[in-house]
Amino acid sequence: MRRRQFLAAACAASAGLAPGPGRAEDAWVMPPRMERPDVATDEGGLWALMDREEAKLRRSPFAIRDAELRSYVQEIICRLAGDHCPDVRVYLVRNRYFNANMAPNGMMQVWSGLMLRVDNEAQLAAVLGHEIGHYLQRHSIDTFRDARSRSAFGVFLGMFGVIGLVGQLASVAGAFANSRGNELQADRIGLSLMSKAGYDPAEAAKVWENLLLEAKANPAGDPTKNSPMFATHPPMADRKDTLAQLAAALPRGVTNEKTWQEKTAPYRREWLNEEVKRGQFEESIALLSRLMQRSPEQPDFVCARADVYRMRSSDTDLNAALADYQAAIALGGEPPEAHRGMGMIYRQRDQPAETKKSFTRYLQLAPEAPDSAMIKNYLEELGA
Amino acid sequence: MITITNLKRIAIAAILIALTGCVSVTKVDSGDRAVGERLQLHLDGAWNQINAPSVVGPNCQSWTMEGLTVDQILVYSGLKNDEPIHYQAGGSSEKKVFKFHSNMQPEQIVALYEGMLTRDGSTFTLKKLEPAMFGGVKGFHFEYTLVRKTDNVQISGTGSGAVSKGELFAIVYQAPQLVFYPRHQARVAHIIQSARLKA
Repeated sequence: MRRRQFLAAACAASAGLAPGPGRAEDAWVMPPRMERPDVATDEGGLWALMDREEAKLRRSPFAIRDAELRSYVQEIICRLAGDHCPDVRVYLVRNRYFNANMAPNGMMQVWSGLMLRVDNEAQLAAVLGHEIGHYLQRHSIDTFRDARSRSAFGVFLGMFGVIGLVGQLASVAGAFANSRGNELQADRIGLSLMSKAGYDPAEAAKVWENLLLEAKANPAGDPTKNSPMFATHPPMADRKDTLAQLAAALPRGVTNEKTWQEKTAPYRREWLNEEVKRGQFEESIALLSRLMQRSPEQPDFVCARADVYRMRSSDTDLNAALADYQAAIALGGEPPEAHRGMGMIYRQRDQPAETKKSFTRYLQLAPEAPDSAMIKNYLEELGA
Repeated sequence: MITITNLKRIAIAAILIALTGCVSVTKVDSGDRAVGERLQLHLDGAWNQINAPSVVGPNCQSWTMEGLTVDQILVYSGLKNDEPIHYQAGGSSEKKVFKFHSNMQPEQIVALYEGMLTRDGSTFTLKKLEPAMFGGVKGFHFEYTLVRKTDNVQISGTGSGAVSKGELFAIVYQAPQLVFYPRHQARVAHIIQSARLKA
C-alpha cells in the first residue's frame, strides 16, 4: 500500500473513529489492499516472523482441519473484509478459551472456545470484524514500534508469563497487545463491517453481554478489570454499552443462527467436553445455563452442566446433576456420558439397582468407551 | 530483530535461572526404595530425582531419566484429603487448584490429573481406564495421550494407583510418544508392579 493512500485512509479513519459518542463508522473508509512490506523494514521483519509462525500453525495438532468449517468461516470473513478477503487466512484452533486474533501478515486464528460461545454468525462476525479492524488499521505494527521504542521487552515476557511459554500458538499473534484506544477503534470498525455485510449489529453487544455473564459468575470477577492479560482492554461492560449505543443507529440485519448451529454441531460435544474439563465451575455453569436457555431442546448442554455439577460436588450439586442428567435423557439423543454420570452418583449413594441400570445403558450406548473396563468392573461388583 | 526463537531462549533461560536457586537433582539408586512412610518400590535402574518445592508437593516425588522436560515419573505417596496434586503456582492464568479428596473414585482421580495437565491448554485424551491392583490393594490403571501446548509434542502417559486409608498412592509416567515413552515404558511397568503398600 502506498504511504499516501495509507495516510489518507488513516486520516479518514481517525476523523470518524475517535472514541466518544457518535455514530458507527460511516466516515471510515476501508483502506486498499496492503502490499507486502519490504523485508528490510521493521514491518517486513514482523511479517516474516508471523509467516514462520503461520507455517507452524498449519502443522499444529491444535489446528482444526475441517475444510468445510474453515471454508464457511472464511466466507464470513470475506463478506466482512471485502477486497481484503484474499489477504486474510483463517485457522480454526482447538483452544477452550474465548479468543480470536489476527497477525499483521493476515493470519487469523479463531479458537474453539469462541466458537462454542457465539450464538450465531452475526456474533462471530462482530469478533472477526473487530480483528479485521486491527488488521486494516495496522495496529500491531504501531504496538510493536511502541514497545520497541520503550524497550518494553519485559512487557512481552510478562505477557508470556501469564499465558504460557513463548511460542505458544495462542500467544504469538496476540503478543502485540493493542492499546485501549485501538481496541475501541477496532470495535467500531467491526460493527461497521458487520452491518455493511448485512449482519444484525445488535449482536455485537451481546457477545460482551454473554462474556460478562461468565465473568460475573467467576469469584474473581471481570478479567478485563483485574487481569494483567487484559490490561489494555476496556472493561466488558463499557464495550457492551458503547456497541449497543452505536448499533441502535444502524439498520437491523440477519443473525443466521440456524446455519451457525448446524455447521458447528459436529464439534459441539468435543468443545463442551473441553469446557467442562476447564475446572472453572462457576463460569461453566453460567455459560451452560445460558446455552440451555438459548437451545432448550439440546441435551448436550444439559448433560455438560450436569457434569460440571458432579465435578464440583458441593452441597446440593449431586442433586442438581441428577436432575440435569434426567432432563437430558428426557430430551432424547443424550450423550452416553449422561448415563455414566448418573451411574457414578447412584454408586456413590449406594443405590445398586439404579447404578446397574445407568451403567448398563452407558455400555450399550458406548461399548468401546475408554473406561468400559472400569464400568464393567463396577457392574460385576453389583453381581450384574 | 526480536524473533520468537530468541524469545523462547530468553524465557527458558529466565525459568532456568529462577529455578536454579531452589532445585537440586539427586540420584535414586536401583534396588528397594521406600517413598514416604508406606510405599515400597523396587527399581531396576537408577533415576534422577528433582527436588524442587516449585515442581512437586510434600507427598510427591518427581523422577526423570532424560530430563524433566522430556520424561517424568510422579510418585504420589500418601497424598492426604484436600491436598493438591500439583504445586500451586502453575503456568496458567487460571487459579484452579486440583485437590485430591479421600472419597474420590478412580475416574475422578484421573479427571483431576487431566485437569492438572491441561491447565496450560494442552489436550488430554483418555485411552483406557481399568481396574488394577496397586501395591497389593485394589486400584486402577489408566493410559492417555497429551498434546503439550508449549511445544505441540505428542506425549503418551500411563498411571496406576490406589486409595488406601484415605490417602492416594500412585505412579504416573509420561514422555514423548515416538522415542522416549517406549524407551522406558517397561522399566516403569516394573516399578509399578513392584509397588507394595505397608498397612
